[in-house]
Amino acid sequence: MCSTRSTSEGAGRPSVSPAAPSGTLARKPVHSAALAKPHKFPQGNSILRARLGCARGLQATLLCLLALTGCSRELAPPIGERRAGPPQRGGVFRTAFFTSVRTLDPAVGFTTTNAAVGGLLFDTLLTYDAEGELIPQLAERYQVSPDGLDYRFDLRRGVLMHDGSELSAEDVVRTFRRTLHPDTPSPASFYDRIEGFADYRGGKSTELGVRAEGKYRVHVRLSEPDSTFLHVLALQLVAPLCRSAGDRYTREAGNTACGAGPFKLARYEPDRTIELTRHEGYYVPGQPYLDAVHWQLLVQPFTQRYKLESGELDYVRELGRSDVTRLRADPRWAPLGEWSPPNTVFGSFMNTERPPFNDRHLRRAVAFAVNREHIAMIRPGQIVPQYKLVPDIVIPSEPGYPAQRHDLAQALEEMRLAGYPYDPATGEGGYPHPIDYLCLVDSFGQQVGELLQQQLAKIGLRLRLKLVGWPTYQALAGRRGGAVMGTTGWHPDFPEASNFFESTLTTGAIAEENSQNNAFFSNAELDQLMVRARGNPSGDERRALYRRAEAIVAEEAPWVMIHTQRYLEVSQPYVHGYRPHPILTQHVRGVWLDRSRKEQHACLVPGGARGCLAGALPASFGLHTRPRLGLRGPGAWRSR
Amino acid sequence: MLRRLTTRLLWSVFTIWAVLTLTFAIFNWLPGDPARVLAGPQARPADVQVIRDQLGLDQPVTTQYARFLGRLLRFGGSAEQHPNAAFWGPVGLDLGESYLKRQPVVSLIGKALGPTLLVGILALAIQVALGVLFGVMAAYWKHTVFDWGAVLLTLLGISAPTFLTGLLLQHLFARTLGWFPLDGYGESQLEILRSAFLPSLTLGLYGAAFYTRLVRDEMLTLLQSDFVRTARAKGLSERQVVFKHTLRNALVPLVTVIGMNVGSLVGGAIVTERIFRWPGIGTLTVNAIFDRDGPVVVAVVLLFSVAVVVSNLLVDASYVALDPRVRR
Repeated sequence: MCSTRSTSEGAGRPSVSPAAPSGTLARKPVHSAALAKPHKFPQGNSILRARLGCARGLQATLLCLLALTGCSRELAPPIGERRAGPPQRGGVFRTAFFTSVRTLDPAVGFTTTNAAVGGLLFDTLLTYDAEGELIPQLAERYQVSPDGLDYRFDLRRGVLMHDGSELSAEDVVRTFRRTLHPDTPSPASFYDRIEGFADYRGGKSTELGVRAEGKYRVHVRLSEPDSTFLHVLALQLVAPLCRSAGDRYTREAGNTACGAGPFKLARYEPDRTIELTRHEGYYVPGQPYLDAVHWQLLVQPFTQRYKLESGELDYVRELGRSDVTRLRADPRWAPLGEWSPPNTVFGSFMNTERPPFNDRHLRRAVAFAVNREHIAMIRPGQIVPQYKLVPDIVIPSEPGYPAQRHDLAQALEEMRLAGYPYDPATGEGGYPHPIDYLCLVDSFGQQVGELLQQQLAKIGLRLRLKLVGWPTYQALAGRRGGAVMGTTGWHPDFPEASNFFESTLTTGAIAEENSQNNAFFSNAELDQLMVRARGNPSGDERRALYRRAEAIVAEEAPWVMIHTQRYLEVSQPYVHGYRPHPILTQHVRGVWLDRSRKEQHACLVPGGARGCLAGALPASFGLHTRPRLGLRGPGAWRSR
Repeated sequence: MLRRLTTRLLWSVFTIWAVLTLTFAIFNWLPGDPARVLAGPQARPADVQVIRDQLGLDQPVTTQYARFLGRLLRFGGSAEQHPNAAFWGPVGLDLGESYLKRQPVVSLIGKALGPTLLVGILALAIQVALGVLFGVMAAYWKHTVFDWGAVLLTLLGISAPTFLTGLLLQHLFARTLGWFPLDGYGESQLEILRSAFLPSLTLGLYGAAFYTRLVRDEMLTLLQSDFVRTARAKGLSERQVVFKHTLRNALVPLVTVIGMNVGSLVGGAIVTERIFRWPGIGTLTVNAIFDRDGPVVVAVVLLFSVAVVVSNLLVDASYVALDPRVRR
């Protein structure tokens, strides 16, 4: 359709344009013929011809530009087709991040991007299997004392670190002490139940309840039972590091990485690239399959799609909304995309300490008024309506499970109970003042805020969007008395329901500044439930406690839960063995490449032969490091 | 002359100090906590507080400011004694340590400066070359297709935001035609130059549009002036009239504007570098602003203000070369 339109427009112009320019041009030589261009300029019809030629050239150029930029919207086909077969060893897996990785030090870097990179560099005592269940990793087995205070971990024998040394209990102990050291800017309070934590972290003592018992056994003593403790051992914060990392944080450690993971660091250029190579001494026989994994950093989402199409990237996850739609709509690409499990909950907090949301009826009115199905329609597939705090991936929904719901009549009733009756027919009544809604500018949260404006207007609440950047949002939302209402969310640190409740809605999460509890919600029963859950080793009993906690949140509505989000993870057909993990982001440990397809592609496409040849050329020729990049035109894609 | 120069230099120092102080004050006044950013959105308040203490953010702003000024210039000492400083002989510049990257700010800026200068110089060359070329053509062939084309293109060039131009150029020349890399920096010199082309062109087109209009208008005025008529009456060739007499005079305001536009060039680079993943000052600045990385932001502002002040001084100096009347 696009090309037809351009052609017809282009075809129409020549018949019109000669008359107009010629008339204008004919006047011009009279104006300054004697002075401005007297000598060499061609005269008469030749002038006209020359000028019309230029005009046509300009038109042709513009049309070409339009055709090239506006109409080449077709997605390039995937490279080859997916073929079944045994795993192959070798190849470089390339992917990208939209954000950067500020440090490679696992004690300090605590972001999803760090987790993805660190997931390959560092092994932990425990980890999660493909279903999200905790399993031993560097610890071969572990025992927990009946009182839940003593944990003993028996390490695998013969695990080689990246520096060639064998993993020992001393490495584990040293890593714990390093992460919890007063000089280390780490989120150390995950481990606050380790005996002696407070004094050690505060620099008052050197005693910490983590000790080596022989070469291969680590003993951790807790001050109180902690049902989340095994989960926090799966965080990379305490992934055993080589001796060279030292016993305390140094800034130099951020540029190096030495652990016991399947890959080791080959190259790290902040804000540009991270390259890992296979750790040949990895303790799992035959693994990893890949020779190397390369990340490009700070790559824009639309550029990620371009690079996926061209084969410069093998896998992408951070696609823009339009690209997600197009890839899903394309029958060649659709089978190659897979949704990540939705594990992050998004919603809106309501500050329970500030009017008007210090009135629970008003909060409940909001929770009833929000039509989550409607909001999810903004991004079909990506956005999934959410009615409870803990996502289904952690505690699956079941009939009768406490949750919020959409009920406009009930919302109006709650407004009446709050003392602000509203008549939708006449538009009279409602809360008399506008309510500031804090959200990130140019974000999906802003779109949600705009829809909430419409939805809450139906019950007589007027929202006024307050659009801010990320640091400002964090400051205002986390400051006591700061924001009345705003967008919020929680990405689990580990798949235990307490992580959602404790971090966001308990009294302990309230602070004057940097409060994690943005609603400043304080409920003694909820606090007590979390204390009991954390000390309870029984999974079934904890689930019952969480169910009651969920009921409190639904009834009190400090948050209105709105949606979860899924990412479309797309890989080229030659990428095998990748499946989005319920907990771990970009978990590519088991990935292998159908190298024959990938290399065939690199050599067969026009320009690709140069790419193959370039591999043999010295670096100074500037070709071999990016063999396919920039050497192919659109015809190349079509020729495949 | 010497007195005038001294006054200009003193004003320049004052300007830089004022900009720095203002930036420091504004940045500390803005809501946002680098410790929170460093700790991550999921970190607990206790962990954030530990980091605040470590970074010295618990100190009053005045103390932080005094500390910043006190260490800014170091006389004597060595890099071993002051690991965050860069020394030129006995004088050291210490811009502190990045909160987020935990590296000396001078080192971060040193790494980012080269790529930015490369793109900046290329962009400036494109701006001036295209601006002068199209400006002269448009003025010389007034009311012709060249003139209209130039006016139209300059309108588009000035109106289109840099990010839009960047995206279109990336789509056309990198994604569709494959002539240049989509983004990145490259490894070899050839790759670096290829990678620098699109960001430079993006920045260059905006300035070129602006300069085209400027040169065109200036040339149009000058072509009607008495000295041009006199030159033609003396029998000089048209080339001499246009290039030696008219264009040279038309360049005086252009040089002024170039000096003033160094700041906007850097501003444009912030967006352009982001699109093309160019590891320059722009990327560093954007990340630092979003991360509330105060030392980096203040250092970048220092760099920009010095660049603008120096470029203005150079502009003043270039007047002397271009306009003999100034020498008197």
